[in-house]
Amino acid sequence: MLTKARLIVLLSSLLGTPLLLSSCGADRSGSAPVQLSEGVPVGAVLALSGNANVYGQDQRLGLNLALAARNADGGINGTPMRLAIEDSGSDDPGANNAMTLQINRGMLVVIGPTLSQQAFSADPIAQRRGMPVVAPSNTAMGIPQIGHFISRVSAASDVIAPLSIAKAMERNPGIQRAAVFYAQDDAYSTAETAVFQKALAAKGLKPVTVQRTQLADNDFQNQISATLALKPDLIVLSLQGVDGGNLVRQLRELGYAGPIVVGNGMNTPNIYPICQKYCDGLLIAQAYSPELATSANRAFVKAFIANQARSGQGPVIPPQLTAQAYAALQVVGEALQRLDKRTPLKGLSVSAARKALMDEILGGTYQTPLGEIRFTPEGEVIQKDFFVAQVRMDPNGKSGRFMLLK
Amino acid sequence: MGSDFIQLLLNGLSLGAVYALFALGYTLVFSVLGVINFAHGAVFTLGAYFTYLLIGGAVGANGLLAGFQLPIALPFWLALPLAGLGAATVALLIERLAFRPLRERNADPLLALITSLGAGVVLVNLIQLLVGAESYAIPSGSLGGLPVAIQLFGAQVRTVQLLLLLVATVLLAALSLWIDGTRSGKALRAVSEDPTTAQLLGINSHRMVQIAFGLSGFLAGLAGGLVGLSVSLAGPYFGIGYGLKGLGVLVLGGLGSVPGAVLGGLLIGLAEACVPAAWSGYREVVAYGVLFVVLLVRPQGLLGKPLATKV
Repeated sequence: MLTKARLIVLLSSLLGTPLLLSSCGADRSGSAPVQLSEGVPVGAVLALSGNANVYGQDQRLGLNLALAARNADGGINGTPMRLAIEDSGSDDPGANNAMTLQINRGMLVVIGPTLSQQAFSADPIAQRRGMPVVAPSNTAMGIPQIGHFISRVSAASDVIAPLSIAKAMERNPGIQRAAVFYAQDDAYSTAETAVFQKALAAKGLKPVTVQRTQLADNDFQNQISATLALKPDLIVLSLQGVDGGNLVRQLRELGYAGPIVVGNGMNTPNIYPICQKYCDGLLIAQAYSPELATSANRAFVKAFIANQARSGQGPVIPPQLTAQAYAALQVVGEALQRLDKRTPLKGLSVSAARKALMDEILGGTYQTPLGEIRFTPEGEVIQKDFFVAQVRMDPNGKSGRFMLLK
Repeated sequence: MGSDFIQLLLNGLSLGAVYALFALGYTLVFSVLGVINFAHGAVFTLGAYFTYLLIGGAVGANGLLAGFQLPIALPFWLALPLAGLGAATVALLIERLAFRPLRERNADPLLALITSLGAGVVLVNLIQLLVGAESYAIPSGSLGGLPVAIQLFGAQVRTVQLLLLLVATVLLAALSLWIDGTRSGKALRAVSEDPTTAQLLGINSHRMVQIAFGLSGFLAGLAGGLVGLSVSLAGPYFGIGYGLKGLGVLVLGGLGSVPGAVLGGLLIGLAEACVPAAWSGYREVVAYGVLFVVLLVRPQGLLGKPLATKV
């Protein structure tokens, strides 16, 4: 039988191993000089596994495309940029570990984490240790306010989300009974649903029901039965891709035929395999349009299409998350270049380089695939153009596109 | 009101059926070895992936097998049992590699628990390495000409939910009949009572353990395929949540009790369905609250036997 002493030894080993492993990496942060022998070190923390992996994969592609573009253009004044991506595993401890690892490795900046929920957990670590963070996809309110070192290229929910409600009302003026779903254990979802509900209230609509789910939920039969009994004529979802995709599919299978507005969490073609043909018709506000006629966007779209052609699969229209990740690395690259010209990175300590880089990021204006962007002094993105799209699935139910609505 | 009750009942039963199927796998292994097989969730996940591949699904862009697709595309009805057999094979492999070496050395049962946990971690990561972490879905039209949802006593129910309930009922009945009405089933019970005495009576304990693992894997594979059809395959880790719930069901029903696993599964499913829809985000609280209350009253679980201690 198991003795108490053996149990203690076993549990101690289990709990102690991760601590031991996390302490193994050499701490190159602080006063050590910037390591440029393998390139200018830039880190990323993305959700490549777990329930937010659908976003991380889009983002990884955007980062790699931007990296290739930067290095083809001479890198950082002749030194190539080196990108190290760490998987956050879609949860807070994973994001904390990945952020700490990137700080200890001597990265000059981190792009990520993917989810707002993770950002609220990991960004304070970066702030405490003076690590610049450029968030490519955090939309919850309060992210840049975590501290001076935290910025984002993804516009907040309160700027974008109301646009899709307005578009739904414009296309269906008779809407009177809206139902709302959100994941109560997710920072992005809870922030965005507040914006959605405020937008509905502004249109004189009080939700007939507000359904709270959890990120890990995937069977929504109970909530859908209760919701459909209230005969809604608009359903508004603030959910992530996997749970949201499942909910859309089950809503349609159970007979709901009205309009569905979804939030930024479902702003990825990776929802197609989940809700399949039932994704058709989803309304979504976006911070990116593939049709934006700027040279920066044309170059991005061209690189994206060429990459997709090489891999022989996937959508041929770049998703917003890929464009935002591309923009984030572009911002970092341009800021590094300016900094290096003024104060060469070689010889700078890591902490000094990080501090100077943060100031440089916030001070610049960038021509990105998202259009021209700048930052407020506290790191909030200033972006001009936003769009509303509708998902249009192909007859095979496997592929589709986000079609812009005029 | 009547249709509301039917709706609630069907939602709860179909959910509970999945939990019961899952917990039965735990129960079968626990009954013969006295340990919980923590790799069971990974086998469940594999069942879903096997089903997806057998119906002709292609691997996405992020694994070593990117773009891979079997040259065949079987109908779901055929793919599901084959996936169950595939999962059973993996479960047997787990028994061979993670359990038997320790059993042969008379190791502490706790060690088998840890090796099973390790086997589960390896399997999940292997899935991620091979097919990536992205989500996959079994097309909703996979049930042939069946409609995706039907009206039943005024309640709107997805066909896949009824299928889950039907398959679970048939499997549970078959398993009960096998355990109670056949020589091999009785042999399994004898091994679960006392492996040494069973061995002395001429029962091959090793074989019975293998049968328990095979059956357990088969049930997990079927459950994985059915859940995959119902709610998609949300990445290599999607079996973990079911695994935790299955553990709760196992404890609620009584460790090692087959009828207990069924009863526990249905009870948890119904308890979750009874949570008002607007508060469904808190249904886990209700499920584990039921477990907590039952354990206060009956620490051995609903149908478990009290632990007798020799003094």
